[in-house]
Amino acid sequence: MKVEGRDFWAGLMFVAFGVGFMIVSGNYPMGTSVRMGPAYFPTMLGAILAILGAIILFRSFISREKSPLKVIEFRPLVLIAGIVVAVVSYFAIGLRSAGALGEAAYMVLAGGGLMLIFGAFGPRLLWMILGASLAFGYLLKPLGMVLAAIILVFFSAFAGHEFRLKEVLFLSVGLAAFGVGVFIYGLGLPLNVWPAVFGG
Amino acid sequence: MDALFTNLGIGFGVALTIQNLLYCLLGVTLGTLVGVLPGIGPVATIAMLLPVTFTLSPISALIMLAGIYYGAQYGGSTTAILVNLPGETSSVVTCIDGYQMARQGRAGPALGIAAIGSFFAGTVATVIVALFAPPLAEVALKFGPAEYFSLMVLGLIAAVVLAHGSLMKAIAMVLLGLLVGLVGTDVNSGVARFNFAISELSDGVGFISIAMGLFGFAEIITNLELGTKREVFTSRVSGLLPSLKDIRDCIMPILRGTALGSFLGILPGGGALLAAFAAYTLEKKVSKNSAQFGKGAIQGVAAPEAANNAGAQTSFIPLLTLGIPSNPVMALMIGAMMIQGIAPGPQVMTERPQLFWGMIASMWVGNLMLVILNLPMIGMWIKLLTIPYRLLYPAILMFMAVGVYSLQNSPFDVLQTAVLGLFGYIFVKLACEPAPLILGFILGPLMEENLRRAMLLSRGDWSVFFQRPISATMLVMSILLLIVVVLPAVRVKREEAFVAD
Repeated sequence: MKVEGRDFWAGLMFVAFGVGFMIVSGNYPMGTSVRMGPAYFPTMLGAILAILGAIILFRSFISREKSPLKVIEFRPLVLIAGIVVAVVSYFAIGLRSAGALGEAAYMVLAGGGLMLIFGAFGPRLLWMILGASLAFGYLLKPLGMVLAAIILVFFSAFAGHEFRLKEVLFLSVGLAAFGVGVFIYGLGLPLNVWPAVFGG
Repeated sequence: MDALFTNLGIGFGVALTIQNLLYCLLGVTLGTLVGVLPGIGPVATIAMLLPVTFTLSPISALIMLAGIYYGAQYGGSTTAILVNLPGETSSVVTCIDGYQMARQGRAGPALGIAAIGSFFAGTVATVIVALFAPPLAEVALKFGPAEYFSLMVLGLIAAVVLAHGSLMKAIAMVLLGLLVGLVGTDVNSGVARFNFAISELSDGVGFISIAMGLFGFAEIITNLELGTKREVFTSRVSGLLPSLKDIRDCIMPILRGTALGSFLGILPGGGALLAAFAAYTLEKKVSKNSAQFGKGAIQGVAAPEAANNAGAQTSFIPLLTLGIPSNPVMALMIGAMMIQGIAPGPQVMTERPQLFWGMIASMWVGNLMLVILNLPMIGMWIKLLTIPYRLLYPAILMFMAVGVYSLQNSPFDVLQTAVLGLFGYIFVKLACEPAPLILGFILGPLMEENLRRAMLLSRGDWSVFFQRPISATMLVMSILLLIVVVLPAVRVKREEAFVAD
């Protein structure tokens, strides 16, 4: 069966969002049309969204345009590996009570499983770019601007088509200096320059 | 008329202070820069700079951000002409004839006429904003909650009708945006909605995270995925001034482009892109030179360039008078106003005349700066084009990350932005335009508030929206718009207009 793949997934997504918002709205008071409660408007919108999504989904089957159902890359083996690791980590929850080492091992297992499951979808560079910015966000405070910027540049540069070590080195040092100069000294943002252990 | 001059006097008094001149210059320079560079547009730039505007005075902040928007229209044409890539989406049409002119060794006149046309259009559009904004604002002051609700419905419908891509998906994206806008504490009841027990979400999903995630992150990722190749005509740019014949050929196209662009800019959902397309199509039909279109006709550069600049500026009218954004950039401007504690709407003009008129005056000042800045500095912009994207995107990524982090000095905002970036990527893959979502996001809480008030006043009678004449007119217009677009004849035309995109 041939469908317009993008519309198929988009329709499903809108139905899911619409129904999801309606279900969550169920936790809040509905009110009346005179005095609308917090659930009134979102339930209404959610219903319309779900209906529209269903129409888009239906239309994808009769559309004259066709496009592949596979809209993003998908690596089934990685997904299976991820599920296996996640299941293992679920049963290995006892590790958490086995001291700091066990706790760390559990975190690696559970986190790794999740990463594999997500990483099974979409291009590698997507996750590298998102990961690079997340790493920057979470390392900015403990490591300071200079190291966090260098990490961000290296990570994100790996995502590109060509990686030239010399260029990336210069770029990372340059951006780290720029970040310190403009954001910390220029705009006065309260950020660390160096890792907190060195006294910031 | 006297009032107009007094008001413009106030405006120029504000716009011509040293500080505001500097921010205007900064804005238009940045705007030209991101306009020139393909792969980063004004939306991402303004989103990136929003956190910085915390520390500025409201008027300086808005002057700078507005400068980025219309500055980008100028910069975009440079890239379109020299590289055959739209530096900015609204210069897609300029590529057609501009690049052909460059190949024939006439890059100079093409760049020159683009700048002249843009400046002329910018001047006219400034006057139009000054003339039409006050009466519109006065009408808007009489609006009750029912009128406001219907106006927002009309605005959103018009925005999706004029946007490109599937109409149904665009409406679905608006609805999703409205829903995401409702995340957070409900002002009426104090109930925290849709926050999934995450305390950071009780203030709602951050507007800056939405804008940066859906536009900034998604843009970088899709650019990297596609890979960019460029061929730059650097050596052949000489003699920027068009000949007298060129100018004579372009007077009418510039006038027509300005008129059409100004009109389309005012419409909700309009703005620069649509204006440029419409102007090119019109010019191709009416020009004596229409056989040359697509082969380097200077009229094909002049008209859309004038139109996109005019449209960029008149799209400030609905923002300034009704407080309703007509495109994502205007949604960001509303965000900037709210950050500064200004409620956008018709009262801005009466309560803060300095801000209102200062911004209008700054647009003309900014346009003048752009002409002066662009013609001699074109060599520098060309050099910038030779910077490879692999050096640019890590820098853009870092600025975005620092920007969101510094909102509340917490990594949570970075996480939120990354998650939205993931959604942005998915939306691109599913051919769902993110622009309608962001309009819905801004209007979500406003719509709910006005709906509640209208229903409270009418004691729960839904027919109130059709009993009040202004409200009824706007709803009927929305329905008509939808019907018109679904009609087969218009649908074909609409698809044709966006084929080149």
